[in-house]
Amino acid sequence: MRALRMLGSSVGTKIILAFTGLALFGFLIVHLYGNLLAFLGPASYNEHAHELISNPLIIPAELGLVALFLTHIVKAIGNFGKNRSARPQAYGVKKWAGGPSRKSLASTTMIFSGLAVLLFVVIHLKLFKYGPVYTDAVTGNRDLFRLLLDDFHKPGYVVGYVLAMLIIGLHLRHGISSATQSLGIVPESWTMQVLRGGMALAMLMAILFAIIPIAVYFGVIR
Amino acid sequence: MALDSKIPSGPLADKWDSHKFASKLVNPANRRKHTVIIVGTGLAGASAASSLGELGYNVLSFCIQDSPRRAHSIAAQGGINAAKNYQNDGDSVYRLFYDTIKGGDYRAREANVYRLAQSSVNIIDQCVAQGVPFAREYGGHLDNRSFGGAQVSRTFYARGQTGQQLLLGAYQSMQRQVAKGSVKQFAQREMLDLVLINGQARGIIVRNLVTGQMERYVADAVCLATGGYGTVYYLSTNAVGSNVTAAWRAHKRGAYFANPCFTQIHPTCIPVSGEHQSKLTLMSESLRNDGRVWVPKNNGDKRNPADIPESERDYYLERKYPSFGNLVPRDVASRNAKQVCDDGRGVGESGLAVYLDFKDAIQRLGHDVVAGRYGNLFEMYEKIAGEDPYKSPMRMYPAIHYTMGGLWVDYNLMSNVQGLHVLGEANFSDHGANRLGASALMQGLADGYFVIPYTLAHYIAGTKVEKVTTDHDAFKEAEDNVQQRINKLLAVKGSKTPRALHRELGQIMWDNVGMARTDASLKDALVKIPKLREEFWHNVSVPGDQNSLSKNLEYAGRVADYLEFAELLALDALTRTESCGGHFREESQTPDGEAQRDDDNFTHVSAWEFQGVGQKPNLHKEPLVFEEVHPSQRSYK
Amino acid sequence: MRIHLTVWRQAGPNVGGAFHAYTAENVSPDMSFLEMLDVVNEQLIKKGEEPIAFDSDCREGICGTCGFMISGIPHGSQPHTTVCQLHMRKFNDGDSFTLEPWRAKAFPVLKDLVVDRSAFDRIIQAGGYTSVNTGGAKDANNILIGKDIADAAMDSAECIGCGACVAACKNASAALFTSAKITHLSLLPQGQVERTTRVLNMVERMDTEGFGSCSNEGECEAVCPKGISLKNIATMNKEFWKAVLQS
Repeated sequence: MRALRMLGSSVGTKIILAFTGLALFGFLIVHLYGNLLAFLGPASYNEHAHELISNPLIIPAELGLVALFLTHIVKAIGNFGKNRSARPQAYGVKKWAGGPSRKSLASTTMIFSGLAVLLFVVIHLKLFKYGPVYTDAVTGNRDLFRLLLDDFHKPGYVVGYVLAMLIIGLHLRHGISSATQSLGIVPESWTMQVLRGGMALAMLMAILFAIIPIAVYFGVIR
Repeated sequence: MALDSKIPSGPLADKWDSHKFASKLVNPANRRKHTVIIVGTGLAGASAASSLGELGYNVLSFCIQDSPRRAHSIAAQGGINAAKNYQNDGDSVYRLFYDTIKGGDYRAREANVYRLAQSSVNIIDQCVAQGVPFAREYGGHLDNRSFGGAQVSRTFYARGQTGQQLLLGAYQSMQRQVAKGSVKQFAQREMLDLVLINGQARGIIVRNLVTGQMERYVADAVCLATGGYGTVYYLSTNAVGSNVTAAWRAHKRGAYFANPCFTQIHPTCIPVSGEHQSKLTLMSESLRNDGRVWVPKNNGDKRNPADIPESERDYYLERKYPSFGNLVPRDVASRNAKQVCDDGRGVGESGLAVYLDFKDAIQRLGHDVVAGRYGNLFEMYEKIAGEDPYKSPMRMYPAIHYTMGGLWVDYNLMSNVQGLHVLGEANFSDHGANRLGASALMQGLADGYFVIPYTLAHYIAGTKVEKVTTDHDAFKEAEDNVQQRINKLLAVKGSKTPRALHRELGQIMWDNVGMARTDASLKDALVKIPKLREEFWHNVSVPGDQNSLSKNLEYAGRVADYLEFAELLALDALTRTESCGGHFREESQTPDGEAQRDDDNFTHVSAWEFQGVGQKPNLHKEPLVFEEVHPSQRSYK
Repeated sequence: MRIHLTVWRQAGPNVGGAFHAYTAENVSPDMSFLEMLDVVNEQLIKKGEEPIAFDSDCREGICGTCGFMISGIPHGSQPHTTVCQLHMRKFNDGDSFTLEPWRAKAFPVLKDLVVDRSAFDRIIQAGGYTSVNTGGAKDANNILIGKDIADAAMDSAECIGCGACVAACKNASAALFTSAKITHLSLLPQGQVERTTRVLNMVERMDTEGFGSCSNEGECEAVCPKGISLKNIATMNKEFWKAVLQS
């Protein structure tokens, strides 16, 4: 009983946020793998997509993913509200302390970058997962590769997507290392490495995601 | 009233045990019916509150700070002595007892000091059990160091923050009792009067420092653990909030004040840099292990120290005390520093400093070894003085550090006022005329953890107290008394700040009742102090009202008390025509210039009874009997 | 030196406050920041005005009593320094500073720059101790503690409870303060028995007091006069989920 109640505490909340955040990050890696197959051409890309769609476990997996998302979002918004109320009167002057502080644009905007990512996910699902369905003439499977090319020949889509990836990168820049810190799973002597590793990983993720629409637009992927 | 120290009979080593057995007990079921007030939350107050709370008494704990954890015990750096003999170097309870009696220049009570040495052993066990992170050796055992010239390594320490860690241990234990409800904590309350009913201490009047309201608290007994009075000198190593007010108000209600002239001056403090200075910072005594003390040979030589050749430097401690050199005891080092400065050879802008030079140590040991030993101290010095001690010598000057005198108490730590117990630095009992390094923490915790739980029970079990509430006339009278004084302070509306007046008092005390006291200087002080007191009550400025937080009003009240107390301190110093420990009368010195005791006339405690402000107090003498240790002359040549 | 100050003045706990401008003249570089304020206050008192209320006691950086915001940074911009140890020689003639109290729901302002930090006491009351009664302890050397463990425990135990961590944190979180005590005691053998309940109780109390949660930015560590590390918070969180799983 107490254990459940304590999950609602400030530390419990942060642990849930960290756990769900890292899980979503794991999902992103899997997702990225699929995206990068675009470089190998339509066959690989579509085959991977089909394997995923046709797997009977996809529904429970998607439900799990939705649960992770919702938990992360609901907890984050609640946490943001509580943190806001912890300082009812703002400072007249407030500066960053510098030194060992890790405060950054990323860390101060997590709630906003998070909400932006949510907006992106909704649009992304609507345009892609629930977007126009083309069928591959040969295999009879859904031809998502064609949709990919269609979409990313529109400059607006490319810009929007790259922007969204930058925001995801920003979110991850603080999120990855912060989550490991929240869970306390990193040996103390590794703190700095995890911090730097988290930032590098975030940047890498954003670049790899963003490179695909650019590659499509400039005809590298076709 | 004759002073009865209530020292148990029997052999020294058995006194405490037999006394504990002979003491009355309070039935565990009855303890919660007894309320105890404890004023002050330093080592003595917090340890007493937690121990009495654990036993089941209803404890009310008061402090002026915003949390009990901020009491000034927190600033103690060096360590805490205990006769554990973990180092196998010949320490024992008896040796710690002997060193303390001798270090106190034979002006402390043997029985109290022996008990202190006995308790020291339990203190370390208790603190370790609380989780105090004392320094350890690689094998996991407790580490010790030698401190303050002691010949055995008996000092336990936690970096340079031993006082902090011990206080947090006591504070945490006390917080545990607060959570249990056995201790009620009243922070930001200043005790302004003691309430006596039928001659027994039964309560206190406090001012709530946040709201400004007066509050009354009733109890079966009152314990004062309110620290020393070093800030009577304005500048000292004490916290700026440290004060004599609670003890002084108790004194005005009849508690005798014992040996107020026993003040300790620490030789290595960062010197005063200007009038704005609010406190002095102590640098650990350990610096003298490798630093060499010197001044220029010529008067008024204001050259940069690096430009003064060896031949024109006077390493006066090494010259005068060839065998002890720079490691002479605190009082000797301090007096010599004063002497060379009085000769006009002091250094720095004010001329009130001597050099403590590490040049030779750095050459001999290398920069890294010196940094390893003193790095944090050098850093602290640089922060405050703005000079790099690796490059130019430190400037040092003595400062008031600790006060051995305090309210008179018997073996049970009870003052001559029934039910008023006094613990820690606030009492007079254990350090005689001079306290050894690392013994203050020991005494505070011994009193609170291991003495008061027994002696207070004995008092409570053996005393009938009238059932009263805070509506009793005595409470009303005391509160009115406090209120009138505050009204008076607010009504003056003069033009001088309490700080300015305090600074003036400090100057009088330092010049006349400081490191070297003479008949003339003391008489001069006794003329100047009442004059300044007079000026205070005509010219102090306390803007604002009393119904809110007012640091200035609190401060004014404390300065007003100091202006009364200072006179007693000077009078005690004048009356004690011998030199002993920290009390140095220039008229009483050996041909070599060392302190010369007068055992025939002064082997006693001077306990003063208040007769009214400006009235000469009555002197009561408690003879000191030395059964174990025979007083001898100290020599450091 | 001449120093320009903009100071938050607030007469009491439940009233509004505002910034007022003051000038400190003839400031000596040897003064500490608080001694500079002492001088300003002397002037105010002489003029019959109420001095600026600020807390301080030991004035050597160990009691944790002093502290306020100096131009947006708790204790000012010097690392590992409380305001009482901050000296004016670090600044220049003509510099301007804005002084504000710690701001947090759990630290209500009492007057001017003085806040009520009793919430910290209550967090300790919730479990920041080992339950040992006086007199029951065994010989100190019966508990062996490796030097590295003792040193690490000391690193955490050094916290002076000044509240700068809360003041610096965008969430007014007390995680650094709370975690330092939890880490100190969880490292030592003496703290093991109550390890599980301690972390749960202290975290619960921290929340009840109205402190926010930790965003792992480390502003707290940057302003901490004792340099208490953010790693303490990671330790607290680990202790926390272990305790949740166990309970």
